[in-house]
Formats: sequence, structure tokens, C-alpha cells
Amino acid sequence: MRRTAALLLALLLVSAWSGLAFAKDIVLAVPLPLTGAQAKFGEIIKKSYEIAQEEINAKGGVKGDKLVLNFEDSQGKPEIARSIVEKLIDVDKQPVVFAEYTSACAKAVAAVAEERKTPYLVVASAADEITQQNYKYVFRLNPSNAYYASGLLSFMANVVKPQTIAILYESSDFGTSGAEEMAKSAEKAGMKVLLKEKYEKGAVDFKPILSKVKAANPDVIYMVSYVMDAALLMRQIKELRIDARLFAGGAAGFAIPEFVDNAKDAAEFVVTATLWSPQVPFPGAKEYFEKYKGKYGSEPSYHGALAYSSLYVIADALSRSKSMKQDDIRDALKATDMMTAFGPAKFQDKDGYQNQNFMETLVLQVIGAKHQTIWPEKYASAKYVFPIPKWRDRK
Amino acid sequence: MWVQLEVFLQTLIAGILLGGLYALIGIGMTLILGVMKIINLTHGQLMMVAMYIAFWLFSLFHIDPYVSLLIAPPLLFLLGMFLQKALINPVLRVESILPHNQVILTVGIGMVLQNLATIFFTSDYRSTPVDYATDAWYLSDFWHNAPFELSLSYPWSVSFLLSVLITTALWFFLTKTDTGKSIRATAQDRDAAMLMGVNVGFMRVITFGLGAALVGAAGCLFIPIYYLFPALGSQFTLIAFVITILGGLGSTMGAILGGLILGVFESMTATYVGMGWAPVGRFAIFVAALVFLPGGVASLLKRKAVSK
Repeated sequence: MRRTAALLLALLLVSAWSGLAFAKDIVLAVPLPLTGAQAKFGEIIKKSYEIAQEEINAKGGVKGDKLVLNFEDSQGKPEIARSIVEKLIDVDKQPVVFAEYTSACAKAVAAVAEERKTPYLVVASAADEITQQNYKYVFRLNPSNAYYASGLLSFMANVVKPQTIAILYESSDFGTSGAEEMAKSAEKAGMKVLLKEKYEKGAVDFKPILSKVKAANPDVIYMVSYVMDAALLMRQIKELRIDARLFAGGAAGFAIPEFVDNAKDAAEFVVTATLWSPQVPFPGAKEYFEKYKGKYGSEPSYHGALAYSSLYVIADALSRSKSMKQDDIRDALKATDMMTAFGPAKFQDKDGYQNQNFMETLVLQVIGAKHQTIWPEKYASAKYVFPIPKWRDRK
Repeated sequence: MWVQLEVFLQTLIAGILLGGLYALIGIGMTLILGVMKIINLTHGQLMMVAMYIAFWLFSLFHIDPYVSLLIAPPLLFLLGMFLQKALINPVLRVESILPHNQVILTVGIGMVLQNLATIFFTSDYRSTPVDYATDAWYLSDFWHNAPFELSLSYPWSVSFLLSVLITTALWFFLTKTDTGKSIRATAQDRDAAMLMGVNVGFMRVITFGLGAALVGAAGCLFIPIYYLFPALGSQFTLIAFVITILGGLGSTMGAILGGLILGVFESMTATYVGMGWAPVGRFAIFVAALVFLPGGVASLLKRKAVSK
């Protein structure tokens, strides 16, 4: 009796101890812009983290430990992001950092993380230099700015084979840098840039500039615009019957459903670069999209898919890591080789980048008034339409 | 050769069509300026309000924006009369340090309208995707062996013609009707008009309503070819202001010509200088008009009439 009691007591103690170990949560603070101008994207990223967190914990968490995320508002300001991260590394001793949205904030956080030898996984920030500074502890899942249109370029090189290109862009930082990158890449690919014109955002009438484009007769018209200008441009291109061999958009305004709603039949067959679409055949992509839409009633952008996938990358690295020490986690991240809803994740040192995930960016084409993934062909949800019919012959 | 001609003609067409619409925006401001002697800096915001009316009529009841021309401008007329009666008239009566605080008041009204639109309708971009948005007539359809191709957009042309029609109707109203004559009399000499028995206060209210209705009509003509967001007003206030200065303050004929000149000038700048230069061009023509032609196009017209 006594022996049984002792045994029971020992058992109880052991189970209580192991239960305690079981309940040990991994608490991670997440800096994000939850107020201010970037709040919309911060919100998408936060919601996507939460979906991933729920799923990971439902599957048993990281080595049995639950992930707990504490969101902290950086207001999209680099100095606030910096102080949040300083606190969570120095005071809370958090061994790994991730999130932030704008490139400016990500740069600030990357500098802090590198200085304190703490691994940092960037989400969605596109500025090239973040992973070009010989940082050992900074990782990035998304392709950087310079690779944004790489899928589109490969589509052009393999299918369209254009000789000439005209570039129209909005006179903002975003438009200008997109146009510069394209002009450089196009020249490298042997295309002649016939025309590179900027316009003032909110212009009513693009016909003067478009008739100039028509006279130049380029093979490809590449446009970097937000959604309303994108729709107006395509509508007026249709009206002037400019028959370029390919109409291409540099993501942003061209890649969202509102573009098709506004440009209507003028949007047909327009291609655009993008980073992610729910049609990609990566495991979990469609499920994530449906779950997000069902839960929040809106459609997530690629930022959301990145956030969702990046938490999986973190969880994977933590579960492979030898300990919860910074350097062990860093080594585990470096050894990452997995499939996510966003695509394959593997951090490489290549072409002047460190710990950068290289992947093929996607090309979408509007076919039947819907965006379809057409390139790379292995991810395609529909066969591309090329050559596109001349305006005169449509309908 | 043909290609260059095509570019030139297409640009000219685009400029004239745009100019016709600009003229309608300018006339409303000019009219208010003539009668009230104040620049109405909430003009573009009134246009934004009319565009929202047209937008909601389209998305809720599927009423074509051109049909809204019968609904939005009368509503804007009432709104304009209300603004004048309830807000501007009381300020006109107050003596103040600043001689033009009615002008400042119009800026304030514009801000309120814009912020109300942001609160109620969010700052999202809206548009009325009509079916005929990209339809056009082509030269090659009428002349089969045309050496070059020109196109004339269907909605742009309809908007232009309606703008001309409204302008003509306004001209008839101002020259043939008693009310119109009273408005012109008030514009020419307020005191004399008052002595002749014109109800000057009432004419002011009517004029502000009329100006608002005209820019409201311009809004209905713009929305099928453009889009809409709450902050769109200031851009068009500026355009109306430039046209008013260019046309000669308070001259209706001047505003029409001013609008056409600005439209063609902007299009030509876009084609032959660069589209990024359009706002610079607009400003340059504004300064040039002030320096070299202080009376605007109207002074040229008058000079010609005198020499005849």
C-alpha cells in the first residue's frame, strides 16, 4: 500500500513536471505597423500570423511548446520599431525576431538584430540593400525589388521575344524605381527602350502620351501604376487601338481584382508581375486563402501569404534548433529547406545577397476577366494567351 | 510623315475634347466671380459632391451617369443656394480686418465637404464602369484607305457635346431671360442694378446655385471617363481658377476659350514635352496670363470689338 502510494506520488510528480514542461510557452513579440498610414498592411500581416499560429499550435506547437505572439505597434516608424526590438532582445531575451513591414523599419530592425547577434526574418520588405550588407543574422523570405519582375522578364524572353519596349510610369518613388529597374533589365535582355515617360498621378487624359507610344510602335508596353491609372491607361489604349504585342504591368495596380472591374474588357490579356496568388500549387496556399477570406471577409494580398509562411519557417527552425540560443536558431534558419504556402524557402548567399530566398516570381494574365497564373509554367493555373488578338479583331 | 500628322491630330482632338469639359468647369467659377466678386475656392469640391451623387445613382439604381445630368445638377443648385444663403451671405455682411474672408470661407467649406466625403464614403477610389467606356469611332471605318488612323472616343465626344449644349443653354438664359439679364446687370454694376429694382441679394443666391449646378453637370460628364475619390476636388478647383484667370475674370466667353486653350495646351505639352510636365505647363500658362494678358482672353475680344 505504502509502496503503491509512493509510486503514485512519484508518477504524479513526474507527470506534473512533464506537464509543466509541456505548458512552457514560447512567447514572441512581433513589431508591426498597426496604426498609421501602413496599418492596412500591418493588419493583413497580423491576421495571417494569427492563422498560422493557430494551425501550428493545433498541430502540437514547436516540440510540444505553444507559440504565443504579442503584437507591438511600431506605427511604421523606424525609430519606434528599433526601440521595440532593442527592448525585446535586451530585456525579454527573445532569441529570434521577425515581422515589420516597411523597408525603412526592416532596415532599422536588421541593424539592431545584427548588432546583438539575434536572427531576424524579414517579412515583405522589398528594398534590396536589407540583405546586401553582409549581415549574418538577417534572413528574407520574399524576393527583393530587383527580382520583382524576374518572372515577367523570363516570360518575355521565352515567349514574347520582344525587340523594343516602352515604359510608362507614375512619377512617385515606387513608379520611378520600378521603371528604372525595368529599363535596366530590358536593356540587359537586348531590348531597345524606345520611350520612358512619367506621368502625374491622377491625370485625366493619357491619349496624347499614348499616341506618341503608338507612333513609336513598341513590342511591349510596360506600365507601373496604381489601380485607377492602370484602368484608365488600358481603356485609352483600347480606344486608340494600340496593338503592342504585350501589355505588361509592374504588379501594384494591375494585379488586383479592382483593375479588371474598372478596365473591363480593356483589361483582357494584360499580364502583370506579382509575388503570390492563391492559385499557386504550393501546399496550403489555397487553404490559407480560403481560411483568411472566411474568417475576415476580405482577400489577403501577398503580404499575408508571406507572413503566414514566415511563421511556419520560424516554427520549423525553432523545432530543428539544438537549443533556444540565438546562434543555434540562426544555424537552423540557415539550414532551412522547406516548402511553404508562399513557395520553396531556402536562404542562400548569391549575387551579392546574404541569406536571401530566391524564387521565381509569378506572372498573371487576365483571361476571361479573371487573373490567372500563367508563368512559370509549372505553377500555371491556365495556359497563357499569346499572341494576343489585335483590338480591331476583338468581339 | 503620316505618323507625325497622326500624333498631332490625335493630340489636337484630345486637347479640344478635354478643353470643352474644362470650359464647363471654368464657366461656373467665372459666373460666381462676376456677380459676387469672389473666387469660389470650393468649386472642385462641389464637383466631387456631384460625382458622388452620380456614382451612387449608378451603383445603387443603375442610372447612367448621363441621365444623372437631370438629377445631380438640380441638387447641386439647391446646395449652392443653401451655401450662399446660410454661410456666405452672413459673412458678406460682417466687417472684418481681412477684406476677403468670404474666399477663406469657401476654402473652409471645401475642406468640410472633402472630409465629410472621406468619413461617409472612405477614401477608396470609385468609378462607374459603363459599358461604352472604351467605344470609339475610327477614321478607318469611314475612310477605308486612310493613310493614318484617328479615333474619337464615344463617351468623351458625348461629354463634349453635352458640355457645348449646356453652355449654349446658359448663354440663352443669360441673354434672353429676365433673370439672366438681371444676373448680368448685377455683375456689371451692382448699385445701378439695385437702383433699377433688381433684387441683388436674390441674384447672388441664384448665381451661386447656378455655378454649383454647372460644375455639378461637369462632374456628371467627367465620371464616365474618369474616376472619383474624396480629395479630387482641389485639382479641379485649381484648373477652374487657371481658366478663370486665363479667360478674363468674370467673362463667360473668355472662360470657354480659356478652357479650350488650357485643354489643347496641356495635351500638346504631354505629347511634345512630356506628360510629367503637365502641371508645370498649367502653372506657366497661369503666370503668363497674369503677366502678359491681365484681362485674359476677354480683353482681346473686347479690343477687337472696339476696333471694329
